[in-house]
Amino acid sequence: MGPKDDRGVRAAAWERNLARLQATAVDAVLLGITLLMVEFLVLAFSGRRGPTGLLLSAEQILDLLHYAWAAGGGLALALLWNLFHRQLGSSLGRAWVRGVPDWEAPLEWTQTLRGWFTAIFIELTFFSGWLITELDLLTFLTKFGKAADIVRGLMHPSGAVLHEGLVLLVQTIFLAFMATAFAIPVAFVLAFPSARNLTRNTLTARIAYTLARTLMNFVRAVEPLVWALIFISWVGIGPFAGVLALWVHSVAALTKLYSEQIESIDTGPMEAIAATGASSLQVLRFGVVPQVIPPFLSFTIYRWDINVRMSTIIGFVGGGGIGYILKPRVDLGEWGEVGTLVLLIAGTVWLMDVISAKIRERIV
Amino acid sequence: MTVESAIRIENLGMVYPGGVRALEDVTLEVHTGEFLAVLGLSGSGKSTLLRCINRLIDPTEGRVWILGEEITGAKGGRLRNMRRQAAMIFQQFNLVKRHTVLTNVLSGALGRSPLASSLVLSFPPEEHERAIAALERVGLGDRFTSRADALSGGQQQRVAIARALMQEPRLILADEPVASLDPALRHSVMRHIEALNRDEGMTVMCSLHDIDLVTRYATRMVALRDGRLVWEGVPDEFDQRTFKEIYGEDAQPASNTGF
Ligand SMILES: Nc1ncnc2c1ncn2[C@@H]1O[C@H](COP(=O)(O)OP(=O)(O)O)[C@@H](O)[C@H]1O
Ligand SMILES: [Mg+2]
Repeated sequence: MGPKDDRGVRAAAWERNLARLQATAVDAVLLGITLLMVEFLVLAFSGRRGPTGLLLSAEQILDLLHYAWAAGGGLALALLWNLFHRQLGSSLGRAWVRGVPDWEAPLEWTQTLRGWFTAIFIELTFFSGWLITELDLLTFLTKFGKAADIVRGLMHPSGAVLHEGLVLLVQTIFLAFMATAFAIPVAFVLAFPSARNLTRNTLTARIAYTLARTLMNFVRAVEPLVWALIFISWVGIGPFAGVLALWVHSVAALTKLYSEQIESIDTGPMEAIAATGASSLQVLRFGVVPQVIPPFLSFTIYRWDINVRMSTIIGFVGGGGIGYILKPRVDLGEWGEVGTLVLLIAGTVWLMDVISAKIRERIV
Repeated sequence: MTVESAIRIENLGMVYPGGVRALEDVTLEVHTGEFLAVLGLSGSGKSTLLRCINRLIDPTEGRVWILGEEITGAKGGRLRNMRRQAAMIFQQFNLVKRHTVLTNVLSGALGRSPLASSLVLSFPPEEHERAIAALERVGLGDRFTSRADALSGGQQQRVAIARALMQEPRLILADEPVASLDPALRHSVMRHIEALNRDEGMTVMCSLHDIDLVTRYATRMVALRDGRLVWEGVPDEFDQRTFKEIYGEDAQPASNTGF
């Protein structure tokens, strides 16, 4: 009995300390950011001028900020707040990690330091965000003239690129199709080791799960546009690079969707098949696969639809398809021709959307 | 060992990963050829006990023998072979809904089927004949092309019984096989399980919570309470006092026809 209790007490103390650490870390980050935003705003309104005699731009101010000081200051303030939480009330981090204590629960936000801090933090975020992204309402409302050219072009599509556009549209659709089709078998195989419910029992399964998940999270984190640049330098400009880029991204996306579907299946049929003396492959084939095929199909068609849209952007950087001829026309300001191409893309996307919705409706 | 017992359970214990103790020190013998009913309130550990026997879950303590061979600790092909001897019937039927009735019954033969062809749902003609015969026995000979989820609950459970029959087992483990069925349909399903026991000589271990069904079908009964075995006897010995012992002082029999 004794040693067990001891272990329990130690575990509880350990957990409490971990919670304190987490709370302080959250507060340190929030307070550090607050200090930076305050410094930014002070500099922005101080009227300081740069070497060229102009007012400092947002980027120049960002360059001047004292990040290390803010980090240190944030940490110090966070430590103080958590140390004196009885006098000051729970900090945001503390409330987040351990919940609001009973005596604070009935207080209005204006009655707590935490409430005021939150309000000021939100204000500061919008204020500095406005300046950093250089929002300019006046320009937005008064300088529409130039853009009107584009809109006029879009409304008067030129027939000059219609033929070429249609040809490349076919290429775009097939590009998306090939990327999706080749992604299916790979994602299908990877989805099983990526499903938590199938990989709990043995050590090998758990390792496979971790490997598959880590790899796919990494691949998915890299934008298709970046994959396109990688594959363009690998296999050269053209639709093949686009297929590869969309393929890699689709494998990762489909693996995630498929494995989530596997995780939500009814385990009853799996158990029933296992109870007949079936082997684990047979359990997958009979107990899992029939349950996940219809949603898999539906996700896959949806993915094709997404890939058609994405291939336009991929084409912009040289990955083939209709985006490839769109880019030079945008650069040259051939708005009529841009209009034709945009309408072609929009029409296809709309059509794909309708068709894929219809097919998915029928499957599920 | 002169008369080999169908199932032998020794000091079985189960603690779930969350820390819930579902079984404690259960020792029990199921005799060859009997129809053993397992009683107990919901949460008393009936499903856990049945699932430990064919190792759908791994007990944390104790040992289990099926037909004289120890299944606890068995692995791979040996475990699968032992599972083939003990077919299971579930409260929720657990059919593969999108497969046809025939494929569902054929899946009972997976344990003896070649891997490659079974993965493309292909079974030899003699298995098809067996499957049709099994379906005819449960009165569904004309429904083999239907999708499983097109059938009513009672019919689905009969398909599950045909799947169990297909397995050609020597034991049947049934976990509340009629609990999700309309009371009016319960006997039609129970009678098929009874037939497996009487005509095929299969040993049946079946959890039930309806006392009427127990006294009508079981040859012997055991009761669980909070994961412990609290009573063993034959239906004739079952009375008000045992009822209170199993279900607690506050319990009332739902009907008194059983006593
Ligand atoms: N997968 C599980 N994880 C954790 N606890 C479980 C699990 N399955 C059952 N239990 C618990 O084990 C106990 C026995 O459950 P069970 O064997 O299903 O009883 P019964 O079939 O008699 O209703 C219950 O307290 C239940 O909550
Ligand atoms: Mg149960």
